[in-house]
Amino acid sequence: MTPVQQMATPAATVRTPSGRRGRPGEPRRVAYLYILPAVAVFGLFILYPLIRTAQFSLYEWDGLGASSWVGLANYQAVFSEPQLRGAFVHALVLIVFYAVVPVTLGLLLAATMSRALLRGLGFFRVVLFLPQVIPMVVVAIAWRQIYEPEGPLNDLLRFVGLDSLARPWLGDYAWALPSVGIVGTWVGTGLCLVLFLAGMARIPRELYEAARLDGAGPLREFVAITLPSVRGELAVALTLTVIAALKTFDLVYVMTSGGPGTETTVPSYQVYNNAFLLGRVGTATALAIVLTAVVFVVTVVINRIGERGQR
Amino acid sequence: MRLFTRTSTRWGAAVAAALLIAACAPGDDGGDDDATEAPAAGDVQTDASQLGDITLTVWDQEVREGQTEQIEALNAAFEEAYPNITIERVSRSTDDLRTTLRLALSGEDAPDVVQANNGRPEMGQYVASGLLTPLDPYAEAYGWFDRFPESVRALASYSDDGATYGEGELYGLPQMGEIVGLYYNKTKLDALGLEPPATTEDFEAALTAAQAAGEIPIQFGNSEPWAGIHEFGFVQNQFSDAETIRNLGFGRPGSSWTSEDNLAAAEATVSWVDSGYFVDGFNGITYDSAWQSFSQGNGVFFVGGTWLIADLASAMGEEVGFVLPPAGASGQNLVTGGISIPWAIPANSDAQDAAAAYIDFITNSDAMTAVTEAGNVPVIEADQQTTEGLQAEVFAAWAQAGSEDLIVPYLDYATETFYDTITAAVQNLMGAEATPQQFLDTLEAEYTAATGS
Amino acid sequence: MISRGERIANYAVLALFAAIALFPVLLILQTALSNDAIVSDGPASSFNFQNFADAWDQGHFASYMRTSVVVAILVVGLSTVISVLAGYAFGTMSFRGSEVIFYLILLGIMVPAEALVVALYFDLRALGLTNTLVAIVMPQVAQSTAFGTFWMRAYFRTSSREVVEAAHIDGAGHWRTLWQVLVPMGRPAVTTMVVLVFMWTWNEFLIPLIMATSENLRTAPLGLAFFQGQYTSGTALLAAGATLVALPVVVVYLFLQRHFIRGMVEGAVK
Repeated sequence: MTPVQQMATPAATVRTPSGRRGRPGEPRRVAYLYILPAVAVFGLFILYPLIRTAQFSLYEWDGLGASSWVGLANYQAVFSEPQLRGAFVHALVLIVFYAVVPVTLGLLLAATMSRALLRGLGFFRVVLFLPQVIPMVVVAIAWRQIYEPEGPLNDLLRFVGLDSLARPWLGDYAWALPSVGIVGTWVGTGLCLVLFLAGMARIPRELYEAARLDGAGPLREFVAITLPSVRGELAVALTLTVIAALKTFDLVYVMTSGGPGTETTVPSYQVYNNAFLLGRVGTATALAIVLTAVVFVVTVVINRIGERGQR
Repeated sequence: MRLFTRTSTRWGAAVAAALLIAACAPGDDGGDDDATEAPAAGDVQTDASQLGDITLTVWDQEVREGQTEQIEALNAAFEEAYPNITIERVSRSTDDLRTTLRLALSGEDAPDVVQANNGRPEMGQYVASGLLTPLDPYAEAYGWFDRFPESVRALASYSDDGATYGEGELYGLPQMGEIVGLYYNKTKLDALGLEPPATTEDFEAALTAAQAAGEIPIQFGNSEPWAGIHEFGFVQNQFSDAETIRNLGFGRPGSSWTSEDNLAAAEATVSWVDSGYFVDGFNGITYDSAWQSFSQGNGVFFVGGTWLIADLASAMGEEVGFVLPPAGASGQNLVTGGISIPWAIPANSDAQDAAAAYIDFITNSDAMTAVTEAGNVPVIEADQQTTEGLQAEVFAAWAQAGSEDLIVPYLDYATETFYDTITAAVQNLMGAEATPQQFLDTLEAEYTAATGS
Repeated sequence: MISRGERIANYAVLALFAAIALFPVLLILQTALSNDAIVSDGPASSFNFQNFADAWDQGHFASYMRTSVVVAILVVGLSTVISVLAGYAFGTMSFRGSEVIFYLILLGIMVPAEALVVALYFDLRALGLTNTLVAIVMPQVAQSTAFGTFWMRAYFRTSSREVVEAAHIDGAGHWRTLWQVLVPMGRPAVTTMVVLVFMWTWNEFLIPLIMATSENLRTAPLGLAFFQGQYTSGTALLAAGATLVALPVVVVYLFLQRHFIRGMVEGAVK
């Protein structure tokens, strides 16, 4: 496997400006011209809308008529209305399925496998990574079919004699959200495995040999050598998967529309629903701002952890 | 030269500039109200061939067998009659139309004709926001006031602030009549030695008998949650009276969700679920796979609307029958329904005259015949059509519902957000996530908040 | 050393996970090639390529795919040029505020689209710009530029200083140095960026869902979602439609998989 190059500067592990460790570069004023298009696009289509979103979140507005200033009432609603708060709780559950499970699984598998040098990894890598590439709408349609009452999953359960476990997965109050989550696990696991295999391939064999001479068991090896060496990859994997969980939209839109009841609503879905169906633009934008804040905090925290001990 | 003196100044300036731009509150600058005012009746050009070359964009939800057939036939006939008008048809499932219509109506190049659900969650909101054109001038010019009885027009009429439903100006015209009745499998009912149920007692006896015979008593799919509105309405119609249901459905003050009758209806729903009368796992079954499954012999009964006549008749032939819901406490066969989703003209349409001509064309007498021939119930003149088989049974039920004043509204009409509320609430009730009392409290809270009663 | 058994076990685990990764994909393919259950109960094994043609027609995929291609070309083209320019400045030049501006743009990678589209939609509507290509393309250009600027800056920082100086000595200005020396040398980095941006754009759902309502501006994933709601009997045509929508991005992936994986691994956040 190609060792991952340039791991020093993945976006996920961007460091705070710590002086110019690279070459200083030539001082040039023409640089402003070069960055002008990027700054313009960024300002018009990210910064300005973001500010407007924050502003909208302080108003009550149906998206059509006049608006009225309500201060922080929309935020109060986000934290007090069970349906809106529920969306964030569901997102937390999804994080377990999208991030925690794939990362854990990926780490354990990669650790056991990295002890052997395998040939033909290229093929597996292509296949394992495939779920990342397929449009979510297509993924959703495929999994909807799998979860059908008479679909392959229930067929399998009945085939092995577990009839009692067969159920209408997406219509079951207890199972609908985990069922959506498992799709996330499916999407994320290959990515994590590929990442960690790449990371562990760079660990010098001698380290393990030395540890073994010291009488370290597999667990100690894992904690003392493997885990610290893939800290960067861990941060990347967590960032990618956690953010994917927080931003779930297509999957819910196509698979469940938030049902049964409101068991599978997620923040993004509520943003859309409130803004464009219920005519509650203020609530929707307040939700969006809270979601953005959560994404920021999560990214920063994960990368702080990823950075620590790396230098 | 230095571009900026200090970092902080620079950022201060940038933020100040952004705030300046952002200073206007949302909605201040929007909607430059260039929507054309509705013309007076005398100005309406009713000869569509005089309108010049026009592309008419039509958004509909006529995706089921009989519906597609009639609208495609009528579109073709319209284009033939008016070669200067080209129809660009955009068809969506009812659900997808609902989720995208609001966005489309508020855009500058809105479609020219849309099907907008006549309840407050859709049409009511759109009228309140000035997104739909009042049709009264066209109604006068085309004689719609004579063509459609008051009872039909009221279902798509609002005051111009959208606050009052059932009177005011006309905002849409339906093609079809619609009732949610009881489809039954004739072969299976015969095998059980039963007649179609006329009363709730009969019905419950039939459910028990069907279950004892190893049949699925009621086929049901509630994955798209709107089916739950029909299912609960079907039960409520057997426990409450017409007046109460109409008040609740139209969002008029004077009734209560937490009445004893409604409690009895919610409890009956739960007890039917607990008894296993509904197919297993209904919350995870889609509406379409449910009726398909019913047509393939899984289930004795299916609570469904008249939009399924063509689909079910062609899948089941003589095997399927249709009756009004059983008569319960009120002694009447109350039935949920009224009109199919009406056709309306967006305020932002730039071809309103042509749009009106189109709506006139698809709702005139010839159109009613085309609607019937494709296997549907025309909203008017049903008694002038000849039908047979399942369609004839439905027509009989429709006629009875009209003459005995049995029709009660869809429950989601009540308030602007009632669709979301009641769909989730019914799923929760039937999924044993909420007790009957909690279910009713949820609905009552929103009803009283909206009606102020 | 590693035992034979351990090696076989490793392959077995990999094979298992590969099978799980492939199962839904194969299921869709198989369904797409089968007969519709509701139409006939014939054996599912008879291959039915007609389904693709039927889905293409009934689902109006010709129009959706055309829009998707146009949107992808515009987003990829614009964001690539803008990112190369900005990355060049951030990577090789020093100027006041470069750090602050760069990290600000980098924040753009983190802002979820949900936080932009609602306000953006209403502002664009006020300007009469919704339901246009601009409304679909530009927000995606902005998000892709945030990533692209970061990506190209990393490349330009690692590019050899000697090469740049040699170009200068030959009399090449900064503009020529960029396009005639650095960009050709950095083709792998640019390819990776192009491939990723293409994938994100092709798969994007929320932005086109909100920004465009007219039929000829709907992109393929949207068309597919609507096709699902509308197509009420059986699943074969739906699966065929799903296959068609996934095909372009999967084909590109199979040819350029190294770039996909490298980009996701290093580029991380989006």
